[in-house]
Amino acid sequence: MANYYDIDDILAEEELVPSVFQHAANEVGLFDSSDDTNKVEAGSRVELPFWLVRELYLRQLLSIRVPPCFDRESKTREEIAADAAHVDLRSRCSYFYELGCKIAPLVGDKTIGPFLLVAFRIRYKEVLIKAHTLTLAVAPKYLTLLTKEEAKLYEAGQSSIAAFKKWRMGGPRFQIAPVLGRKRKPT
Amino acid sequence: MAATSEPHGSAFSAAELEFLAEDETIEIVPNLRMDPLNFISGDFGPFRPQIATQVPLWLAVALKKRGKCTIRAPDWMSVDAFPIENLTQVLEAERDSEKFQPLPFHYVEISRLLFDHAREDIPDIYMVRSLIEDIKDVRFHKIGTGLEIISKERTYALRLKNLSAMEANIVRPFVTKALETFYKLSSSEMIQESDHISNRQPQAANRGPRRQLKDR
Repeated sequence: MANYYDIDDILAEEELVPSVFQHAANEVGLFDSSDDTNKVEAGSRVELPFWLVRELYLRQLLSIRVPPCFDRESKTREEIAADAAHVDLRSRCSYFYELGCKIAPLVGDKTIGPFLLVAFRIRYKEVLIKAHTLTLAVAPKYLTLLTKEEAKLYEAGQSSIAAFKKWRMGGPRFQIAPVLGRKRKPT
Repeated sequence: MAATSEPHGSAFSAAELEFLAEDETIEIVPNLRMDPLNFISGDFGPFRPQIATQVPLWLAVALKKRGKCTIRAPDWMSVDAFPIENLTQVLEAERDSEKFQPLPFHYVEISRLLFDHAREDIPDIYMVRSLIEDIKDVRFHKIGTGLEIISKERTYALRLKNLSAMEANIVRPFVTKALETFYKLSSSEMIQESDHISNRQPQAANRGPRRQLKDR
């Protein structure tokens, strides 16, 4: 609930989190569309968006399973440990850090915090270098590896450099007001 | 203007910085006779032919465009070793040392304005131009490598000594975003959960070292 109107905050909470229902629930068959009983059995595994999981978890209706990208035994952890800079995090969780920060206190896994920090530390360096050197032609390929947060950081660096270069090249010093440029149509 | 030209919210656009830089004073030699001008920022003039006087850069450029003066290049913008800080030495020092050399806060903008409008008034313009370009490149590279240290240790603030307006403005959006993320990820509730009782006190008192950007 960091920022109610922040679109990224909202989208981050849309990420799906695997969870297990503790009780059977009627009328919510759409979560687990296996048959037409319109019912979710106790103990069934479903993937729900984080905002819903949090509320249900606080009411003790379901238990959260750590998403695969944060899980202690997961492949992601090994890959981050091996070479964090080139892991495709976007396809795993496009709001990796946001979601990690939100989910860590709920699942009570104390290793998630340091894990996120280590991942960001290494990836930050890569973003820094790429943002200052990469040309626009090569960029798209690299951008697909980044999470939304990293991509924003990258664009912030890239766009300010581009703006500076544009200014230095010169070009038209005065901008014509849009009103003036318009020509009257011959009627 | 900032809102339209800068979608990513750096504080100023380059054009705005140029506007601010135009308030720096510079020496001109007028060739017209004119009474002193009284501005909010101060009084300038009187203008007498061949008598040098100090005016804001925008006024110098305006007079120059009308052919009413010649601009004297500022002291730092010189190639030969006569003044203490000349560009050749600055470039060497910039290459050798980790520190940023002291240059005018608006050196990028001032040099661009002068190169655009007062080309013939600057001695050794080609040399000066390429030197400034080199200095700028060296400094930008330094900033790039310097920013890597943010990731090594806990960093809450950066001290950017002698960084010029344009340089600071370019790195601003990137650095603030990066520091924000680092702060969030290394905040106490994310990291220190396991031993919070023992560690909370000293951590609150000491907010971590201030990193210096390659200035030690």
